[in-house]
Amino acid sequence: MSLAGFEVEVQRTGATGLETEEMTLNMGPQHPSTHGVLRFVVKADGEVMREAIPDVGYLHRSIEKISEKVGYHGFMPYTDRVDYVAAMFCNQGWGMVCEKLAGIEVPKRGEYCRVIAAEFNRISSHLLSVGTMILDIGATTPFFHAFREREIINDLLEELCGARLTYNYMRIGGVAWDLPPGFIERSIEFLDNFEPMLAEFNDLITYNTIYLARVANVAAISPELAINYNLVGPNLRASGVKYDVRRDEPYSVYPELEFDIPVGRGEVGTLGDCFDRYIVRIHEMTESIRILRQCFKQMPDGPVIAKVPRKFKPPAGDAYIRVESARGDMGWYAVSDGSEFPYRCKVRTGSFSAMSIIDRVSPGLMLADLVAVIASMDIVAPEVDR
Amino acid sequence: MNRQSYLGGIVDVCKTVLDGMAVTFSHFVRKPSTVQYPDRMPVRVQDTLPFRYRGILEVDLEICTGCLACERACPIDCIVIDATKDKAAGGMVMTRFDIDMAKCMYCGLCSEPCPTGAIHHTPEFEGADFSLESLIRRFVKDPVVAYKPKKKGEDDPRLLEMLDRGLRYVGEFADPDRPSADGAPAGAKEDAA
Amino acid sequence: MQDFLDSLIAQGYFSGVPTGLVYAVGMIVFAAIVLLVFILNVAGGTTFVERRVWARIQSRVGPNRVGPQGILQWLVDGIKLLMKEDLIPAAADRILFSLAPYIVMMGFVAAFVVLPFGSHLIIADMSVGILYLTAVTSLVVVGILMAGWASNNKWSLIGGIRSAAQIVSYEIPAGLSIFPIVLMTGTLSMQGIIRAQGWAPWNWFVFSTPFTFIAFFIFFTSALAEGNRTPFDLPEADSELVAGFVTEYSGVRYLIFFMAEWGNLYVIGAVVTTLFLGGWQIPPVTDNVVLRAILEFLTFFIKSYFWVLVAMWVRATLPRTRVDQLMSVCWKYLVPFAFINMLGTALWVVLFPNGDGVVHYFMFAIGVAIIVHFFRRVLFHLRRARIRERNELLLSPLS
Repeated sequence: MSLAGFEVEVQRTGATGLETEEMTLNMGPQHPSTHGVLRFVVKADGEVMREAIPDVGYLHRSIEKISEKVGYHGFMPYTDRVDYVAAMFCNQGWGMVCEKLAGIEVPKRGEYCRVIAAEFNRISSHLLSVGTMILDIGATTPFFHAFREREIINDLLEELCGARLTYNYMRIGGVAWDLPPGFIERSIEFLDNFEPMLAEFNDLITYNTIYLARVANVAAISPELAINYNLVGPNLRASGVKYDVRRDEPYSVYPELEFDIPVGRGEVGTLGDCFDRYIVRIHEMTESIRILRQCFKQMPDGPVIAKVPRKFKPPAGDAYIRVESARGDMGWYAVSDGSEFPYRCKVRTGSFSAMSIIDRVSPGLMLADLVAVIASMDIVAPEVDR
Repeated sequence: MNRQSYLGGIVDVCKTVLDGMAVTFSHFVRKPSTVQYPDRMPVRVQDTLPFRYRGILEVDLEICTGCLACERACPIDCIVIDATKDKAAGGMVMTRFDIDMAKCMYCGLCSEPCPTGAIHHTPEFEGADFSLESLIRRFVKDPVVAYKPKKKGEDDPRLLEMLDRGLRYVGEFADPDRPSADGAPAGAKEDAA
Repeated sequence: MQDFLDSLIAQGYFSGVPTGLVYAVGMIVFAAIVLLVFILNVAGGTTFVERRVWARIQSRVGPNRVGPQGILQWLVDGIKLLMKEDLIPAAADRILFSLAPYIVMMGFVAAFVVLPFGSHLIIADMSVGILYLTAVTSLVVVGILMAGWASNNKWSLIGGIRSAAQIVSYEIPAGLSIFPIVLMTGTLSMQGIIRAQGWAPWNWFVFSTPFTFIAFFIFFTSALAEGNRTPFDLPEADSELVAGFVTEYSGVRYLIFFMAEWGNLYVIGAVVTTLFLGGWQIPPVTDNVVLRAILEFLTFFIKSYFWVLVAMWVRATLPRTRVDQLMSVCWKYLVPFAFINMLGTALWVVLFPNGDGVVHYFMFAIGVAIIVHFFRRVLFHLRRARIRERNELLLSPLS
């Protein structure tokens, strides 16, 4: 679908013989509710949309090309910027793909540190996603409550690695810092206070009738459609497909941890609607809390990083790994030509596929629903454009 | 719409709205979680930040060995060091050590390979200024000879203090040869209870 | 007001001047005083109070730097808006664009003429007081439509049309909910309605019959919708339509739109107090005229402002409804119940022409039970979040 013809206004004859015109609206790159710089060209007949054509590329920073210049070790901070909301997963992805290229094994404690950081980041990313979704629907308070909890997670991760958003925590072969003293106590205290806060969140907004009226039955995506459009992560699970990379293609220490995979059940409205995508994220936060508690109990002693040479030259070849990021299956592909700099690096992100399905589900929705759909897909612009 | 869902809908609205308002009212009587930076705080923010915080870079030039490991590690090339081997002065002589804080992305890759911890992140983050040139931190005023670590340990108390802090900073980084990092909560086994 | 001017004329102050002119000028001067001293301060102060109330609900502090406790924040914001550039989009309709905010402001300021602040503190006690009020508050629709159209911006147009549909639709349940009160008192005058109630809570109209109890909630909801407040704030939905019909407005014009919105909140509170909560009625504690006037004014003000705070509280809690849901709430839920109320009250007035002695105590008990249950839920939430143990209780609104 090219954008070239969108200037032409389509004339339509209604049932009563009245001629109505479609409006072409530009939900532009600067808009309070597109999560980052995204653009939609919306053709609407009054309130009801006919088409919503996405236009991406406003946040393209050539991160994949930069990897060819800075080398394997130097690329780690750049991976944070691929999805700055859930940066730990990107770190983990790059670390894992380099380890696969060179055949390095990460020590057990290092893997546990990675999982702890990743699950904390999953909670904080879901808090942001859920909070902004509710903000876009109109309730302003739960957003602040979600961010208050997110700030505490940021404080914990700041203690761990020194930064609040672009962590650069992991390295090829493990992680850069071990857990500081007192980290586990503070984390468990946070988890104990967080569970009642989630319950309060649910009381405030999740089952609120007005909220349910806005999100239930909106943009229901059937399992077949979700698979055909390559949705991943919570979006896919909300449509009923029980696929999670941690369970189906396990990596790191996830085989040793016990957790459930929340799947959308269509409890309010249809299977795969916006509410399912929302509630799957809430349940995933609960599962992450379980994983974290187990990790704190089960962590062995030992080194947290393997020996990796400063001039990292993996043998020529390529490798592809998957990580279950907060936004779904994030794929990392690296091609090495035997030198210090990768020949090619490619990232496959969940938000990019989610953008494509918006045009498929929007005909027939109202403008207010478009906002709900974009928010429920948890699309973040940096992931779409890299 | 049948009568059940009509009346049920009304009851639902009343219940959920009332409960939602109870939650918000309960928040109204709680202490806000705002930190009123910068003036209504008991302690300066910079003193509350953890030791590993990656703020503005600082170089203790007296203990810099001139190994150029930080310049090589930086992915953005924001560290520029001019150092030449000068036999007469007794080692590497550094004439320029510039860090362009406008380019720096605070990733910490430079402080990791430093042998003495001369280059390290500080908890300082208030670096905003009016011109881009002022953001280039120039650490060398006059050409200086690089530091040579003494075999029997450092005896100059001033250098010793800097060295201790630097080594403590570098020591926080994970080491593949150390069985368990110091200060790690003595194995999670103790916290398992 | 008129008696006051008459007494001044009798004392010989305006000897050569025709009485019509004295009345006219007197009314204008009094209205100007009310506008500048009361309305602008209340509307502006409400912006500040809203920000503080919102902030506490959201676990934040809100503006507290400008002036003690941040009280001067709204003044400073107003001055900043005054100093902004006067922007009119090039392709916009200049006359309509400039005129729209003033029409909206006019719609809401004209309502203050009949607000009864005390037993003798009312600018004009018209015999059709409440009818005049509903008529005049509908003027804002014209202003909003003008603003939406004249901005030459599709988003503003959508916002303006949504708002027009919303306000016009919600006029109906609002008007219908006023009927039970009018049926019970037999008069449309605001002072008459207040005088028909008593000072004690169980003598207020909200508790006198189950029909007026429900009419109270219907009226409050419709009034919130008419004032473009969440959960019905689609015209200004700031996550969907940038800023709805005020997108192209900046500076003074923006200020006027928002003064009108927040001032409207006060009008809603005042009308709810007058109709349902006994207005300025105070227990007979004193005979001193001045003291009575002050107490009556304070009672009325506090009761109306309470509803302003409730509106802010509701805005902080609830999400926004979609346009079609908003319309369906109005036409499928509020209007039928409003009609039922009207018929029920008519029956009630026929069956119990002198009131019945028991039902209002019963309704008052129900009201108290709801409030007690509410506070029990609040305590439940506080206990679950372990607030006491974490020393995080702060009852004072100051900070």
